[in-house]
Amino acid sequence: MYHSAKRRSSSRLMMFIIALIIFIFGLGLNLSVGASDISIIDSLKYLFVWDGSKEQLIISTLRLPRTLIGVFVGASLAVAGALMQAMTRNPLASPQIFGVNAGASLFVVASLVILPASPYSSVIFAFAGAAAGGAIVYMIASSGGMTPVKLALSGMAVHLFLSSMTQAIIILNESGEDVLYWMTGAIDGSNWQDVITIAPFSVIGIGLALVFSGSVSVLGLGDETAKGLGQNMNGIRILISLIILILSGASVAVAGPIGFVGLLVPHIVRKLIGEHYQYVLPFSALFGAILLVYADVLARWIAFPYESPVGIVTAIIGTPFFLYLARKGRNLK
Amino acid sequence: CLIVSGCSSSQNNNGSGKSESKDSRVIHDEEGKTTVSGTPKRVVVLELSFLDAVHNLGITPVGIADDNKKDMIKKLVGSSIDYTSVGTRSEPNLEVISSLKPDLIIADAERHKNIYKQLKKIAPTIELKSREATYDETIDSFTTIAKALNKEDEGKEKLAEHKKVINDLKAELPKDENRNIVLGVARADSFQLHTSSSYDGEIFKMLGFTHAVKSDNAYQEVSLEQLSKIDPDILFISANEGKTIVDEWKTNPLWKNLKAVKNGQVYDADRDTWTRFRGIKSSETSAKDVLKKVYNK
Repeated sequence: MYHSAKRRSSSRLMMFIIALIIFIFGLGLNLSVGASDISIIDSLKYLFVWDGSKEQLIISTLRLPRTLIGVFVGASLAVAGALMQAMTRNPLASPQIFGVNAGASLFVVASLVILPASPYSSVIFAFAGAAAGGAIVYMIASSGGMTPVKLALSGMAVHLFLSSMTQAIIILNESGEDVLYWMTGAIDGSNWQDVITIAPFSVIGIGLALVFSGSVSVLGLGDETAKGLGQNMNGIRILISLIILILSGASVAVAGPIGFVGLLVPHIVRKLIGEHYQYVLPFSALFGAILLVYADVLARWIAFPYESPVGIVTAIIGTPFFLYLARKGRNLK
Repeated sequence: CLIVSGCSSSQNNNGSGKSESKDSRVIHDEEGKTTVSGTPKRVVVLELSFLDAVHNLGITPVGIADDNKKDMIKKLVGSSIDYTSVGTRSEPNLEVISSLKPDLIIADAERHKNIYKQLKKIAPTIELKSREATYDETIDSFTTIAKALNKEDEGKEKLAEHKKVINDLKAELPKDENRNIVLGVARADSFQLHTSSSYDGEIFKMLGFTHAVKSDNAYQEVSLEQLSKIDPDILFISANEGKTIVDEWKTNPLWKNLKAVKNGQVYDADRDTWTRFRGIKSSETSAKDVLKKVYNK
């Protein structure tokens, strides 16, 4: 017993180190691939040598913030997805059913059409929309006691309602088409302002999730067991919901609705290291960052030298995986 | 003269027996053949380049798909005209079109494909390329529209005038001009270059410029990194209303490093005239705009 636990923890450590190496290599790759030819070594050099050359400016003002956005958004979405799946005990749950993506999209599209000359950036509207979408879903789902099924159903209903409103605005107004690129989920235009926007939310959200990871594990066991263990279920639910909102709201605000990261990553992680959320959450953060950083490299290769939205890449990877999950649904508990 | 109230071709019988065959013309359009008879008086246009063509031939359409922007229409034709809005170009209102009792409808081959059959029931409808049209196709469309309006000779005259205007403008371009040029559309969240095969790209080439982005895809989204790699000598920016991505780029030192920025060769291009109208008159306006802005002519 003691030995097997020790072996498990050392294999987890191995896995963490391997993932970390893959992650760091991904960062280098992400920095060096792009329209302009800059080698990995040069791109790392330009992080420290500020010679004002065009290559150095490309690295420090465009590619570095973009890489960091990939890290923050990937980690945030994956942790939000893991929390979501634990809370609803539904393996197909992802931040999307909290209404945040649809809410953010609606607010951004509406702001462009109604307030075209607004001095505020679309990030603020996206955040407000994400919060509004999440709040509506939460209010509907929690009236008369929240159950996982109620949350999933009300989330999907609100998502569809908000999405159809967005569609209506786009159809009725040409300037709504402006956000079509953002709506596929893109990080290629990221700048330092985006990094400053998302970093605090991402760090605080993931930090809180890690602190409360023990309670999340209990939540995954179901209400009866959790109550038996003396947990305040409603308090934890509200807290976890808030963390999900913070993480997915900030992500969608800077990168648009990037799908499948929150769905995909927690599954892979649980497959590799088991159900303990003390481990699932930090691994999800790391794997989420890896997935998005590499997907972003692929996004540059698909139509080289031009960019494709990274959301398309995650969708290409994610859709077959989603179907696989749905088919195996009976075995997933 | 005939007054066709927009029904079947049997209306020809209202005319005198002799002119019957002469008055009915077979128009070849993107959907095949359409028979138009008489001289259409009540024309409905569902794209802006068709308004340009019809107005150029001396007819004010009774209905225009104007996206509910009267100002845009005023800008296109140069004066206030009396017409009824039939809604947006993407979703024109069939009831309003029908109530106008048109005798000719000109629709876009791409946008209005799905409502073609319904339009045809209202009045003879010709479908031409506008949204996806090249410059040459716009000229072809103009000829077709002139034929449908029973103004073929006038159409030929107008085209000859147009060619002369363009040739005169071309002659004003300095012979030793070897800088390359490109136009980009700035939106809130993206920047799209119009390549050599886009409508405005063809106008640049026609004037004798080298195009900075040669591609078979008319439009290409680019990041600031790609723009700095292309680094055009002259950059026209057609910006949407409100804040755009270029406002953000302007704070980046890479933007200040662009050749066009350093040499003061970044110019505004009106979004409507340059990229939305796509007609013969607007191509002249655009061409004049280049010469005025780049050479102060």
